[in-house]
Formats: sequence, C-alpha cells, structure tokens
Amino acid sequence: MSFVEYVDRNFDRIAFLTVQHVQVVLLSVAIAAVIGVGLGIATERTPRLRRVLLGITGTLLTIPSFALFGLLIPLLGLGLAPTVAALTVYAVFPILRNTVTGLQIVDPAVVDASRGMGLGAGQRLWMVRLPLAWPVILNGIRVATIMVVAIAAIGAAVRGPGLGELIFRGLSRIGGANAFNEAMSGVAGVVLVALVLDLVFVLIGRLTTPRGLHD
Amino acid sequence: MTDPTASPPPPEVMIRLEGLVKRYPGQSTDAVSKLSMDIRRGEFVVFVGPSGCGKTTTLRMINRLVEPTSGRIWIDGEDVTDVDPDRLRRRIGYVIQQIGLIPHMTIAQNIGLVPKLLGWDKARIRDRVDELLELVGLDPAAFRDRYPKQLSGGQQQRVGVARALAGDPPVMLMDEPFGAIDPITRDRLQEEFLKLQERIRKTIVFVTHDIDEALKLGDRIAIFGEGSRLEQFATPLEILSEPANDYVRSFVGAGTGIRRLGLLRIADIPGGAPEPAGRGAVRLTEDQTVHAALEEMLQAGADEVVVASADGRGERSLTMRDLLLAAARAKGEAR
Ligand SMILES: Nc1ncnc2c1ncn2[C@@H]1O[C@H](COP(=O)(O)OP(=O)(O)O)[C@@H](O)[C@H]1O
Ligand SMILES: [Mg+2]
Repeated sequence: MSFVEYVDRNFDRIAFLTVQHVQVVLLSVAIAAVIGVGLGIATERTPRLRRVLLGITGTLLTIPSFALFGLLIPLLGLGLAPTVAALTVYAVFPILRNTVTGLQIVDPAVVDASRGMGLGAGQRLWMVRLPLAWPVILNGIRVATIMVVAIAAIGAAVRGPGLGELIFRGLSRIGGANAFNEAMSGVAGVVLVALVLDLVFVLIGRLTTPRGLHD
Repeated sequence: MTDPTASPPPPEVMIRLEGLVKRYPGQSTDAVSKLSMDIRRGEFVVFVGPSGCGKTTTLRMINRLVEPTSGRIWIDGEDVTDVDPDRLRRRIGYVIQQIGLIPHMTIAQNIGLVPKLLGWDKARIRDRVDELLELVGLDPAAFRDRYPKQLSGGQQQRVGVARALAGDPPVMLMDEPFGAIDPITRDRLQEEFLKLQERIRKTIVFVTHDIDEALKLGDRIAIFGEGSRLEQFATPLEILSEPANDYVRSFVGAGTGIRRLGLLRIADIPGGAPEPAGRGAVRLTEDQTVHAALEEMLQAGADEVVVASADGRGERSLTMRDLLLAAARAKGEAR
C-alpha cells in the first residue's frame, strides 16, 4: 500500500490524533504562558530570583524528553497528566525569557514619561509596558509552541494523547504490514501541525500587535 | 519628616524649595545640596548650568520622580513632600528631551491620558485634545489619529507639550525639551512657546545647559555651579549686566553688552524727541528689541528711528546714540 493510500484509509484516526495533538500542545503552552508571563512580571523587583528561575527553567530544557516523561510516571501516572506536565515544563523557559527581555527593552523614556504623568506601577504595566513588550512575548510563545509540538510526540511513551501513538506503534513493529506508513503518517502530521501553528502565530502577531508599532 | 511648625509660603509663591538635598545611594557627595528657592506664580524660571550639576535631579524632586534625601517642597501653598506622588504628578506637567510619547497610543490618546486618569468624560477629553493640538500649532483633524512615529521630532515635542498641558496643571516642568531638536526647528519652538506662555501663564521650571536658550526664555534664570551651588538667580538682564561672580561671568561668556541689546525692548528706552524724524528714518514699533532697531538702522544707513507705540497712536524718534546710551545704562528691571 502506498503512503497516500494508507493515509486515505486511516484518515479518521490520523485526523483524530492530530486534533488531540494540537489540543495537548495548546493546553500545555497556555499553562506555560500563564506561568512564564506571570513569573516574568512577578520577579521584576527581585532580579536575583529571576536569574535563578531563568537558570532552572533553562536547565530543565536539557533533560531528554523521553527521560522526563518517564520520571513523571511515579508522580502523575500515565496519559494526559504527565504529558501536559512535561510539555509545560519545556514551554516555560522561552516564554519567561522573552517576557523578561520584552519588558526590559521597553524604551525607558516612555516609562519615565508615563511615570511623570502620574501613572501608577500597575497602570504603567498594563497600559504601557505589556502592550509594548507583547510582540516579544508572543514570539516566545510561538517558539515554545513549535518546540513542544515535536516533543509532544514522545508523550506516547507514557500513553499520552496525540500523533506520537502512530510513530511509536509504527516503529515498534517495523517490517510489519504498513508499519513504515504508520510511523511516517505520524511524523508528517507533526510537521504539518508545526507549520500550521507557525502560520497561525504570524497571523495572531499581525492582529494583536498594536497599530502604532507596525512599520 | 513633616514639621508642623513650618508655615506655608505667601500666595504669590507657587513653588518653594526649602533646604532640598539629594544624595543618591552609594554616592559620597550630594547631587543637590541645601537648595532653597522661591518661584513665583506664572513665572518662567530656567535652570542652567554645566552637565552633572544637579538640574535634572532638582527638577525631578519637584514632582517626586526623585525622592529628596531631606528638605521640603511646597507647591501652591501645600507641603507636597509626603503626598501621594501619582496624584501629585497629574497636577504637574512634565516634558523631557526624549519626549517619550507612548508609541502604541494615538496622538489623541497620548494627550488624553492624564484627563482620563483624572476621570474626565469622553466628550470633554476629545474637546480638550483638539483645543491643545490647535494651541501647539498642529491641525487636530490631521494629527489626532496618527501614531507618534508618523510625526517629525519637532511635531512630537509639540505633542509632548500639549500632553503636559492636558490636565491644565498650574506647574510645568521641562527638562531640556528642545535639546534634541534641530537648531532651526528649536528656534521656532522657542518663539512659539514664549507666545504660548503669554497666553497660558503657567509656572514653568525649564532646564537647559544652553545659556542663550536660558536668556531668551526665562523671566528669571538660576545659574548652577558645581555641586548644585546656586551662583545667581536673577533676570536675564541682571545676569548680563551684573554677573554675581567670575563663575557666572565665564559661564555667560563674551559679548554680554551686545547680547543685552536683544533683551531690551525699545519701550524700555526712555526719552526721544516727540517730533517725527526726517527723511530716511527707520520705522519700528515699541515692542521690538533694541538689537532689531540697531540692525535696521545699520542696514539702512540711518541715524534715527521712528517708533510707533504698540496701539499705533503716538510716535517718537530716537537716535542711535539714544539707544546705545540707554542700553548701556539699563539695569536689571526690564522684562
Ligand atoms: N540615578 C542616579 N544614581 C546615582 N547618581 C546619579 C543619578 N542621577 C544622577 N546622578 C548624579 O547626580 C549628579 C547630578 O546629575 P543630574 O541631576 O542629572 O545633572 P544635570 O541634569 O545637571 O546634568 C551627577 O553627578 C550624576 O552623575
Ligand atoms: Mg539633566
């Protein structure tokens, strides 16, 4: 059976797993965004704590994903929970780092003028600094998303949802009927999801970047 | 910090600085040490001095962007040394060299921000924005909905001034507002700002390191020396005629006699013949400067000038000698 034929016959299953894959990625990134942006803001007055957090979340990135999923089994069991937890751990760093950078590179004269006009710290954050940092923060979320799309496939090792199931099953019975096609369909799905999400982020960027910041 | 025995300054004093000191953390000397001065209501005061002498620090203590180490600040009869700084700042206009317009807000939103914080309704804010754009010479219809980066530096600083005026604050603080603007535009903005001030009569504290800008704009000029020592606080004419010490003399530089001519109005010169002068005399009005009169006379090769009073009724004639002698004798009371 050719690859195209394989995909055609198994379309429903592949589509179902693709949707699952997207869901688990977006869920994890959403949680990571809340954590990353939140920590970025919360640690503004404590630069040392901030450096420590950046160090820790950066180091977590170097743990091989297969190992991290496995290590979470005793804590969270199998399935959705360890998958989302692991993906969130990976996604926090780029978002936290870009939140920190985004807030730091806001033109100090703009912040000073806002302060001089009588905007309080909270007003400066919401009305001035976050909107100006947003394109950088969003880019961090984009990078996290693309990274996590690929790592999510490993989640199948702990029976997590998504396209990893196709890859793992295909590879485990390689040489068998349609084993290669099955694995390939998983890989193709992951690449496709990554490309589409990347485009979606370009669009979100266009739509949410404040007008005065466009060139 | 508040001393209950201190009595407020008299009503004609808008800003009083009392023994103001600032030492930044980790520094071994004061950036500003024991500075006291009174600034009157509606007065345009310029702080001038070399870089690092504490002008910006002093200015920023007035709206508490910098907290004084010790001393006291009175604004409009109120001790503001310990009041809520955000509320205080909404009553004080603040303009900086880097302008600092908020890039993702339109010009109207930038100008309307303080009124919004003050809780004005939308219609009133919109009217105020248009009024202010007109006031600083920008067409509201053309500029209201633009973003800061779509404006030139000079236009941006006009918006910066409009924004500072938005809540109709009695006090304006301006830190080298025209310092980063090209010389030709700067000259225009200075002229326009003087005209504007004649209408709005704010109490203005203006920082510059440029003595000529100070002489051109200030009702009074505070010349700072090293370590924020107040070397002289006087009118431009007094500073040119009677510099307090060698520091002021050298800071002001050469050519003070000629430069004074640009500060004196013909109206400041007494005397002259009531008769209209003869042929070839130059015709001017009382509100022009002696410098302009002499320039015209030299250009025309005339020895006499006929001056019409501002209302256009009376006339008198002055000779070049009248002008020069009077200018040489004129002391600080003009302006
Ligand atoms: N935030 C700061 N921390 C430490 N020192 C400062 C700070 N701001 C200004 N200074 C110092 O205080 C002095 C006065 O500075 P400033 O008020 O900016 O002077 P000016 O505006 O007259 O150039 C300078 O010696 C400057 O280095
Ligand atoms: Mg300065």
